[in-house]
Amino acid sequence: MVATKTIESKEILEELLDTEKLKYCFECGICTSCCPVAELLGKDYNPRQLLEKTILDPEGTMVSNEIWFCAWCYSCHRHCPQALKLPEIFLRMRAKAVEYQQHGEPLNSALRKIVQNIPLPLIATAACFHPERANLEKKKILEKMEELYLEHLKQKKMERAQQVSEGKVAVIGSGPAGLTVAYELSMKGYGVTVFETLPYAGGMLRKCLPESRLPKEILEKEIGIIKDLGVEIKTAVTIGKDVNFSDLWRYGYKAIFVGVGAHKSQHLKIEGADLQGVVHALDFLWNINLGGNTDVGKKVVVIGGGNVAVDAAKTALCKGANEAAILYRRSKEEMPAIPWEIKEAEEAGVKIELLTAPKRILGENGRVKAIECIRMRLDEPDESGRRKPIPIEGSEFAVETDMVIFATGETPDLGFLPSQVELNEDGTIWVNPLTMETSLQGVFAGGDVVTGPATVIEAIRAGKCAARSIDSYLRLSGRET
Amino acid sequence: MAEEKERESKGEIVQPRIGVYVCQCGLNIAGSVDCEEVAKFAATLPDVVLAQYNRYTCSDQGQAGIKNDIKEHKLNRVVVASCSPRLHEPTFRKACEEAGLNKYLFEMANIREQCSWVHLYDRASATEKAKDLVKMAVAKARLLKPAVEIEVPITRKALVIGGGVAGIQAALDLADTGYKVFLIEKEPSIGGMMARIDKTFPTMDCSICILAPKMSDVGHHPNIELLANSEVTEIKGYIGNFHIKVNKKPRYVTKDCSACGECAKVCPIVVPNEFDVGLAIRHAIYTPFAQAVPATYIIDMNSCLNKNGVVVCDKCMKACERKAIQYEMQPEIVELEVGTIIVATGADVFDPSTLPNYGYGKYPNVITSLEFERLINAGGPSGGRLLRPSDGQIPKRVAFIQCVGSRSDRNGRLYCSNVCCMNTIKDSLLIKEHWPETEICVFYVDIRAYGKGFEDLYKRSRKEGVVFIRGLPSEIKEDKKTRGLWLTGENTLRQELYRMNFDLVVLSVGLESRKDSEIIQRLLTLSRNQDGFFLEAHPKLRPVDAATGGIFFAGCAEAPKDIKDSVTQASAAAARAGILMAKGKITVEAITPIVFPDKCKACGLCTKVCPYNAITLNKDLKRIEIAEAACGGCGTCAAECPFGALTQGHFTDDQIISEIDAVTEYDAEKKIVAFCCNWCSYAGADFAGVSRMQYPSNVRIIRTMCSGRVAPKFVERAFARGAAAVLVAGCHLGDCHYINANYQTQKRVERLWKKMEQSGLDRERLQLLWASAAEGERFASKIREMKTLVEKVKPEEIEKTKKAFEKALGGA
Amino acid sequence: MPERIKHVPLDIEKVKPPRAEIHLIKNQCKGCGYCIEFCPKKVLEESEEINARGVHPPKIVNEDKCILCSFCSAVCPDFAIFVLEKKQEETKK
Repeated sequence: MVATKTIESKEILEELLDTEKLKYCFECGICTSCCPVAELLGKDYNPRQLLEKTILDPEGTMVSNEIWFCAWCYSCHRHCPQALKLPEIFLRMRAKAVEYQQHGEPLNSALRKIVQNIPLPLIATAACFHPERANLEKKKILEKMEELYLEHLKQKKMERAQQVSEGKVAVIGSGPAGLTVAYELSMKGYGVTVFETLPYAGGMLRKCLPESRLPKEILEKEIGIIKDLGVEIKTAVTIGKDVNFSDLWRYGYKAIFVGVGAHKSQHLKIEGADLQGVVHALDFLWNINLGGNTDVGKKVVVIGGGNVAVDAAKTALCKGANEAAILYRRSKEEMPAIPWEIKEAEEAGVKIELLTAPKRILGENGRVKAIECIRMRLDEPDESGRRKPIPIEGSEFAVETDMVIFATGETPDLGFLPSQVELNEDGTIWVNPLTMETSLQGVFAGGDVVTGPATVIEAIRAGKCAARSIDSYLRLSGRET
Repeated sequence: MAEEKERESKGEIVQPRIGVYVCQCGLNIAGSVDCEEVAKFAATLPDVVLAQYNRYTCSDQGQAGIKNDIKEHKLNRVVVASCSPRLHEPTFRKACEEAGLNKYLFEMANIREQCSWVHLYDRASATEKAKDLVKMAVAKARLLKPAVEIEVPITRKALVIGGGVAGIQAALDLADTGYKVFLIEKEPSIGGMMARIDKTFPTMDCSICILAPKMSDVGHHPNIELLANSEVTEIKGYIGNFHIKVNKKPRYVTKDCSACGECAKVCPIVVPNEFDVGLAIRHAIYTPFAQAVPATYIIDMNSCLNKNGVVVCDKCMKACERKAIQYEMQPEIVELEVGTIIVATGADVFDPSTLPNYGYGKYPNVITSLEFERLINAGGPSGGRLLRPSDGQIPKRVAFIQCVGSRSDRNGRLYCSNVCCMNTIKDSLLIKEHWPETEICVFYVDIRAYGKGFEDLYKRSRKEGVVFIRGLPSEIKEDKKTRGLWLTGENTLRQELYRMNFDLVVLSVGLESRKDSEIIQRLLTLSRNQDGFFLEAHPKLRPVDAATGGIFFAGCAEAPKDIKDSVTQASAAAARAGILMAKGKITVEAITPIVFPDKCKACGLCTKVCPYNAITLNKDLKRIEIAEAACGGCGTCAAECPFGALTQGHFTDDQIISEIDAVTEYDAEKKIVAFCCNWCSYAGADFAGVSRMQYPSNVRIIRTMCSGRVAPKFVERAFARGAAAVLVAGCHLGDCHYINANYQTQKRVERLWKKMEQSGLDRERLQLLWASAAEGERFASKIREMKTLVEKVKPEEIEKTKKAFEKALGGA
Repeated sequence: MPERIKHVPLDIEKVKPPRAEIHLIKNQCKGCGYCIEFCPKKVLEESEEINARGVHPPKIVNEDKCILCSFCSAVCPDFAIFVLEKKQEETKK
């Protein structure tokens, strides 16, 4: 650490974002309490303290392993009373560490911690931790990760050999939440079966994440490891169609985890929504990820402000569109997408039209030709706390386009659930926040199906939490019977 | 010779003899300005007969020195280079007067707020700037004329806007002193926020029990005229002579009402009662609460069936034995004449539904601290039983969350709301008093128990077993089965995450400025700070005065505060208003226009720009007439006159031009000439100094009362003499202290821009800035921005500009 | 007092709004529609049926909403409508 003393700490500090605000952080602890990684790692990671350290001792922070734990979910930023962008502050520290060649050992130690505490470490590294943003080579980090992971598994498997637990668990959905539950529970010795509607496992990871973010090879590897642990993954089985939900009990499953995600695109009822060339973002991304020959328009317009909208616009550009624009009806601060992703999309050439809403889609011979938009202004905050957009009369204008992608929100499709499982107003499942148990005993849920569209790391957190509860639930009920 | 004598007898002095005093202000000025050198330099200036520097010029010793010198050295002008004239001009003027020198023969150079404090680390250029500022002041001083101030009588009546505890106290104090008071309240009853609170901290007195006698005093006081259910719609005039129009909304119930309540019993309409934050019901005819003053019932026509003059239901009328109900009552405009105004409009509570994580409005058992007050109040909707809204059960575990809507950048309320910590501690004790078994947790980040008796209360609360957890919850989630609430957060002292379940969560909401305070701001031409609260004339020494004369603040209108502070401030405001009214008259600064009738062409342009309609055109005599008492003293008329027939006293064309010439004598091509209005931008520049915001030293500020005084010829002259850039700065449009004079500024600057463009000049060199007294940083960053602009200006451009504005050089 | 009202009044169930009993004398109605138009609570609507005078008399669609203001009987030119208060015992049943 002596070597690092040559670095001017003041210079680093001043380069940090929001320095003035940073100093005003009054340590309410909100960032730590809503950070999924802090929950997964426990005492090893505390963003609030890390921030404090960044101010007091930048050099020391630079060589600490903690700066490598942020998983870019921006949950802290969304909750922080000062609206600090913690991930970007930590990125500065990461980049500095790399610049001064101080990252070697801290990063290795961070990776070891991740392997030990965070399920699906390969996926998490590729899709969440983003080492490449600090100018590191993603592939190398992934290789290192795999090495550590296999070592860890070897050790774990030896422990597991002595441990067999009673009870079979059904996991519905093979997204990050479902896979996490399967991984965790099979580690504890339970028999786990995963049911997946699609012909391949992976859920949103496969459907939505572009190859650049999560290489398919990594996903396959991770699924392979989970299968190796003895988890049975039944693809192309739809609960509610092929198997009844209530029948799962009859097949001997003692607990059920619902992690079906949010895959139902919300429809925007505007004129022209049925024209050729109008698609839903999830279908679009799915087709691309399947490697199918999807026609991508030359001038693409994406409607929505979430991560899916941003991904769709970026993917469209990659797949041959000349122009891609996102229409969002509020301002940038209100966009639910991750700020960094928005920034990256803009850098890739995606245009973002804020305070703009579609009015109708104009067609020619049944094909999309243009989209008529209207400008909005923001009024007082509405019930949701966000400022309500109000159309400005007479501000209509038309944008020429040959492809319109709807990314106006996704909700879970929960028709298969018994009525005892209570839902929230927005169509997600209500769970006890402590145990992730739904209002129906023995049924647990987690991931997007509970939170609405969110990030991979949040799904992993939910999965691990649910797995812990399922374990204790099964132990308790085992003792009673 | 004879002519000279005559002029002398008129009080004019032929040959100026100027004394210059450079103040070191301890190290405040001397720390970055070489005062000795400045004094030496001053001695070389024309007509200066004496120049010295001293440690504290404003001290008794310093003042005595000046008085002595006036006599001994026959000084007939005094220049003090020290702090802002906004601070000590009155002090030195008084000293001059005591030595027999007319106070208008005194001039000040601001070398502290606008020099030493903003150039802390550049002694050389700060000293240079200080010399320039002294030179400007001396140049102006040579041209100063003695003046006599006229006196204006003060109407011995006061207006109090807002009938909360602050307004009530101010009204009672003034009325007891013997002045007539009009108390205006927009709600049906006075009482404000305090009437809704259960107990007060730190003494735990019953709030309404101590307020109600005061309210009834207001109702009965012979000197108080209470106008409830009324709003101010128009305010005209000036200190001592305000003309007010008040819209007295109809109550639909006459004074004959005996408040028996028979009418409400028969009213078929049921709506939520606003007074109880909707936790109880009321009828369309109602009285907001039992102790309301006036006690007269009122009909809420928005919910009553009798709309647009059609009487659909007359049940209340039939029930009323005293025939006090009149459905056809009309709004009434009441006109008042008052001498002083006290603004006690209070504050709003923060609406937490903008924080979706806390689920307020979605989860029934998440309530605000104001709702809690109504629930725990024996006179409230639950009869003092703290009931969970979801099931009417008494909660066993209660959580309080602090700083909801305060100290956050996310929703723009950056300040601490001052009362919520103590309010929560009080609330926790109230619960413990009634239900000692209740488990209470307070989630906080800092507990601010700073006042008398506050710490004791805090201690008591801890002693009673209230648990204080440092760390705010990030999320509240409802348990669908029990309607309980899960709080997730980090205990930052133990560095542990917590997940805790509570039956009831109270959000300790902050206070924010009234949503309609903009209306009062416009009506009274006041300033507000960035948080939306009214800005006092001086944060330390004039904390209840508005910058506008004759207007005072009391209570939360000025900043969030507790009851004690509100009452203290109300009494202070009443005393301040009383001082003015006791004098019975006020002198008007001799800064009214001076007319040169021989030059006047009776074109009438000046009459059109006067914000006070103080100038009238006498068409028969072909001349203008000025009502000096009505004149506000902005000088925009003088700037408008194309013939030089009008000028402003103490800010004459010659005086301002002499200042411009002094600035531009040397190195003009590096300097920025700034014209700042006294109230906002000059005060803003002072604020930058007080806050030690550093900015480049090449700016020279010339003070005018209003930016409307800045005649185009001033700007042109500055450019003609080679200035690199000119800044005209005023109050924000709509915030002008002279009603709307700064709109003239805007017009004139726009005309100049056009002219510059036509002459092929870079219009960026003339900048217009709207900055309030609180926006020091805005001023400082403007100067920084202009510095880079100045650096880019080429000598050829300066020459070209000089040529283009050549004409402006004549006549000095 | 500009606070947003977010909760249901606690005592809302304590107020017993008077229960109305609306009486129509259908054959006396000439179908002017005044009662329908002027009812502040929109309790009445035009019915399909045809009465003895060959017009559509009103029908009661929402008797619970009636607040017994009796404005309908005041505006009725034919004295064809009147409102009585239901006795509390009856409503209990």
